[in-house]
Amino acid sequence: MRARWVRIVACGVAGALVPALAACSASEPADNAVTITVADLPPTTQAKSRQQFLDQVAAFERDNPNIKINATDSQWEAKTFAARLAGGQLETVFIVPLTEPPGLIKRRQVADITDETRALPHADKFENRALKPGTGPDGRIYGLPTSEWALGLTYNRQIFTKAGLDPDKPPKTWDEVRLAAKTIFEKTGIPGYAQPTTNNTGGWTLTAMTYTHGGRAEKEVDGKQVPAFNDGPALQVLERLKAMRWEDDSIGRQHLRNGADVLKDFSAGRIGMTIATPSTYGDHITKYNGDPAMFGVTALPSGGTSATLLGGKMAVVSPKAGTAERAAAVKWIDFRYLRPKYDTAAAEERAKANAADDIPVGIPAVPFYQAQVVDPVLEVERRHANVPLNNFKPYTAGVATQDYIPEPPVAGQDVYAALDVAVQAVLTRKDADPATELRNAEEKVAPILERAQR
Amino acid sequence: MTELQQRQTPTRAADTATRSAYHPPQRRRFRRGFGLGGLITLLPLLLVFGIFGWWPIGQSVVLSLQQTNLVDPPAWVGIDNFRYLFADPLLWTTLRNTAWFVVLALLFGFPVPVLLALFVSELRRLGGVFRVLVYLPVLVPPVVALLLWKWFYDPDFGLFNQVLDVVGLGPSPWLQSTATAMPSLVLATTWAHAGSTVLIYLAALASVPSELYEAAEIDGASIWRRLWHVTLPHLRGVLLIMLLLQIIGTFQIFTEPFILTDGGPEDSTVTILLLIYRYAFLNGDYGMAAALSVMLAIVLATLSAVYLRLTRKWSTT
Repeated sequence: MRARWVRIVACGVAGALVPALAACSASEPADNAVTITVADLPPTTQAKSRQQFLDQVAAFERDNPNIKINATDSQWEAKTFAARLAGGQLETVFIVPLTEPPGLIKRRQVADITDETRALPHADKFENRALKPGTGPDGRIYGLPTSEWALGLTYNRQIFTKAGLDPDKPPKTWDEVRLAAKTIFEKTGIPGYAQPTTNNTGGWTLTAMTYTHGGRAEKEVDGKQVPAFNDGPALQVLERLKAMRWEDDSIGRQHLRNGADVLKDFSAGRIGMTIATPSTYGDHITKYNGDPAMFGVTALPSGGTSATLLGGKMAVVSPKAGTAERAAAVKWIDFRYLRPKYDTAAAEERAKANAADDIPVGIPAVPFYQAQVVDPVLEVERRHANVPLNNFKPYTAGVATQDYIPEPPVAGQDVYAALDVAVQAVLTRKDADPATELRNAEEKVAPILERAQR
Repeated sequence: MTELQQRQTPTRAADTATRSAYHPPQRRRFRRGFGLGGLITLLPLLLVFGIFGWWPIGQSVVLSLQQTNLVDPPAWVGIDNFRYLFADPLLWTTLRNTAWFVVLALLFGFPVPVLLALFVSELRRLGGVFRVLVYLPVLVPPVVALLLWKWFYDPDFGLFNQVLDVVGLGPSPWLQSTATAMPSLVLATTWAHAGSTVLIYLAALASVPSELYEAAEIDGASIWRRLWHVTLPHLRGVLLIMLLLQIIGTFQIFTEPFILTDGGPEDSTVTILLLIYRYAFLNGDYGMAAALSVMLAIVLATLSAVYLRLTRKWSTT
C-alpha cells in the first residue's frame, strides 16, 4: 500500500516537472498490482543467456500486466543467505541446489507453495520423483524443480581412446571403474578417477555410491531416522576407494577437492573419470572452454544395485512473501522453468533460442512430468539439440532402469560432512581403516540426528 | 658491558625529560572531563563503533541464547546452544587444531618477520628493493594468493613437488596429510602476512638511536651483542604488542583453511572460525555459531587482559 502511495506521489511530481502527464497516468498500476524480485538473471559475462532471461521477463510482464518483475543476478550463496533473509533483501523467487531444500524446509526459511502449485497446468501429472526434493515431511510443496539430473559417471573420451579403452562402452560396475582407472593411469600417467571429498561433496558422492550397493545413509527405527551408512555397503565403497588409491595407485595424490575443483581438472584433461551429473557439460563448454568431443557420460555404475541420486536445482519462494507475491512468484516459476517442460510451443521457442545462442540443448535431464506430457516436449528438444547426443547415449540407456533414491531425510548436510572425513581418511592416509572411519562418522552423526528430531 | 649500560642510562633519562616537556601528564589534559564539544567530536566515532561494533557484539550475545530461523520471532533457549556446543566432538578437535596452528604460527610466523626486519635494516644497499619485495605478498589479494598456493601444493601437478622431484626429495603430501597440512597452512600464512609486520618492525628499528650502536661498536660489541643489548630492548614494546596481535589473529584464522583445505584432511585443519562458518552457513544454526563466537571473544579478551597485565611491567621498563 505504502509502495503504491510512493509511486503515485512520484508520478505526480514527475508529472509536474514533465508535461507528459498522460504517459504517467497510462502506466498507473491496477489495484491488484504486485512487484516481485527474482534471482537467477545470468551475469553480464553470459550476455546471450542474460538477454534471453530479460526477454522472458518482458514477455511475462506483457502476459501479466499486474505483475512487475525486478530481476537480479544473485546466485545461491550460503554465506550471504542468512543476512539477506534477515535484512529483507532476499528475492521473492530464488534458486537453490537440490541439497538445500530439506534444511530450508526444516528451518521454515521457504514458503509453502502447495496451493499455488496445485493451480498450475498439469499439476496432477507431475513426476513424483522430480517433485520429491521440494516436498516437506508434511507432504506440502516448498520448491519446484528448475533442472534435475541423475548423478552419473563422466569420463574423458579422448583419454579412454588413448588408454586403449572403448569410449562407447564405459564402465557399468564399480569394479570396471577400478580396472579402467588402472589402465588409464598405466597407459597415460593421468589419474584414472577422481573422488570429490570436501564441502560435503565427499559425503554426498559416497552416499550415492552406497545407494548403488544397496545401502542407505539413514534408516527409520521406531519412527526416527538413525545412521545407516555403517551397515556394510558404504564399507565396500570405501574399501574399493582405498584399494584404488594405495594398492593400484591409479587415482593420483590430490584428494582435497570439491565437485567444482574436480570439474575444472576434468575439463583440463587431468582426470579420466569422476562422479557428476550430465549438466556439468554446460560448465565444461561455457566456463572451462572444454572440448565437446572429449565429454562422455554414463549412468552411475552399479555395485549390485541399479540406483542413483538426484542433483540439480529448485526454485523456492521467500518465506516473507505475502499471498499475492507468492502467487505471482509461482506464476513466474511456471512461466520460466516449467512451461518449456510441458508446452511444446514454449519448448521449441526456448530450444531454438538456446541453440542460436550456443547454450547447450539436449542434455538428458530428469523429466518433471509424466510421459504423456513430456514425450512430445523431448521430441521437440531433440530436434534442436546442439550437444553430441552420442556421447550421452550410455547415460540415457543406463538411467532408464535406475531407481532414484532421495537424499537422507534428516540433517543430510551433517551426514555428508561426517562422511567427507571418512572419504578423506581412506584417500589420504594409508593406514586408515574404513570400518573405523565409518564408526567414527556414525558416532558423530547419531547425536545430531537425535537432536534434529526432537 | 658496564660501560655500555652507563652510556644508555643518561640517554634514556634525557629522553624521558624531553618527552615530559612536550607532553604534559595525562591527568592535566582530562581534569575537566568531557565537555559538550568533546562529546560532539566523539559522536561520529561512537556511532560508527556502536553500529558496526558494539551493537553486533551485543546481538551475538543475545543470539547465542536463542534459536532463530531469521523469519519467525526467535525462541529463547537459555544455555542450550552452549550445551550442544560442548557436546559436539568436533569442538574439541577444532580447539586442538587452532591451538596447534597458534603454536606453529608463533614458532615460525613470529620470528620470521623480526629476522627479516633485522636483515633488511642491516642492508647498506638495496634496502628499498628488499622492503618492496618483503611487502609485495601483502599487495596480492588473499584469495588469489591462496589459490596460487593451492596450485603450489598440488601433489600431482604442483610446483613444490615438481621442484622436489628435480632435487630427488619428493613427493611431499603437503595439504593431503594430517601431519603436514597444518604446517603447510602456517607457511602460506607467514608468507602472506609477514610483509606488514616487517614494516612495523622496520619503523621501530629506525627509532633506535644510532649513537647507541656506535657506542657499542666502539666498545667492541659483536653484532649479536648489539642485537641482544641494543636492538631487542628497544623493540620490546612493539614485540609484545605484535605478539598479542598475532595470538589474536591466529586464533581467528579462517581464509587459509577455508580456501586450501576446507578443514581437511579428516578435520585436521578445521579451526574455530571455520566451525563457526559451518554452524551458521552450512547448517543454518545461527545460535550455535553465535555461542561459539561469544566463547571465542571471551577467551581472547581474557587472554589479552592477562597477557597485558603480565607484561605491562616488562614492556615499560
